[in-house]
Amino acid sequence: MPIRQKVFFLSVAVVLLLVIVELIRRRRLRVEYSWLWIASGVTIILLILRYDVLVWLTATTGAVIPTSTLFFLSILYLALLSLNYSVRLSDLTRQVKELAQEVALLRAERDAPRDRP
Amino acid sequence: MRSNVLLVLPAWNEAGNIGDVVAELRDVRPADDIVVVDDGSLDGTTAAAAAAGCVVVPLPFHLGYGAAVQAGVKYGRRHGYEVVVTFDADGQHDPGDIAPLAACIREGADLALGSRFLARGSYRGGAVRQAGRHVFSGLTWLLTGMRISDPTSGLKALGVRAQTLFALAGFPDRFPDADALVLARRARLIVVERPARMRPSHNRHSMHGGYRAVAYTFNMCLSLLVAAAGRETDLRG
Repeated sequence: MPIRQKVFFLSVAVVLLLVIVELIRRRRLRVEYSWLWIASGVTIILLILRYDVLVWLTATTGAVIPTSTLFFLSILYLALLSLNYSVRLSDLTRQVKELAQEVALLRAERDAPRDRP
Repeated sequence: MRSNVLLVLPAWNEAGNIGDVVAELRDVRPADDIVVVDDGSLDGTTAAAAAAGCVVVPLPFHLGYGAAVQAGVKYGRRHGYEVVVTFDADGQHDPGDIAPLAACIREGADLALGSRFLARGSYRGGAVRQAGRHVFSGLTWLLTGMRISDPTSGLKALGVRAQTLFALAGFPDRFPDADALVLARRARLIVVERPARMRPSHNRHSMHGGYRAVAYTFNMCLSLLVAAAGRETDLRG
């Protein structure tokens, strides 16, 4: 990989990592979700420094050029990530529903006529 | 005297109907308690229901029919009602049909459904809706061996065991339908069906029209499979 490319992509990866760390520091990103993002940033850096890993992966999977391996992995990663979000959204939906029902039931208790048993 | 029957009316923007529906229910079923679940209405349904003297469970935002019913069932379960009857707030159900359903629960059934297809001279809905019901009725039969003619019926009586099942966090909460029956069957509930007359409703927000019918059918088929092939923990919560 030409040095020019290396420097460019390394700086992108470092900026990404810095943004992640800053988000955690400001508590905008929960720590338990952030390891995934840190891992992503580190993987990018590793792939830049060790381009031969990508070449080896390309040969192993039978792909022709490293670029397609990279795109395949990225798309797979993004797909898994959104699947993960769907799972979390489903959980949240259920939790919000349960909470809303609970709030409504408590309000019903509060406003119920007192002469009821 | 308290009859130990709770009538649950899920209501979404029914301010104009709720007073009449409640008045008619009081007339026919003076001993029953009534709880109106306001499913995030914007037209003052809560005030209208409170003015009619009902207990109101005011959901803070719109959750959908199934979750509204579930909130009402939770209310009934917490207050120890022997029978919880779900009854549509738009006036399409006949209060006279409650008694036979409640009687089924008292005689040992866990879940009693009011069916418009068993009732003579009942309004049955348009052709598409009827076709849909036949499909789900057939699927229910395939999956459970139960012959249920009207799985989408909004008029249901629930005994204590059915209340517990319907109150589970993971219970189908969009439009419980054939999937609820499959779960009921897996939980070994005794399900019966009785005739119930339906009147044409003036419902402005019917959920089975156009592309929604397609989405509904697809979702219901998926939900059915999930209900049939789900884990045992689905039945315990």
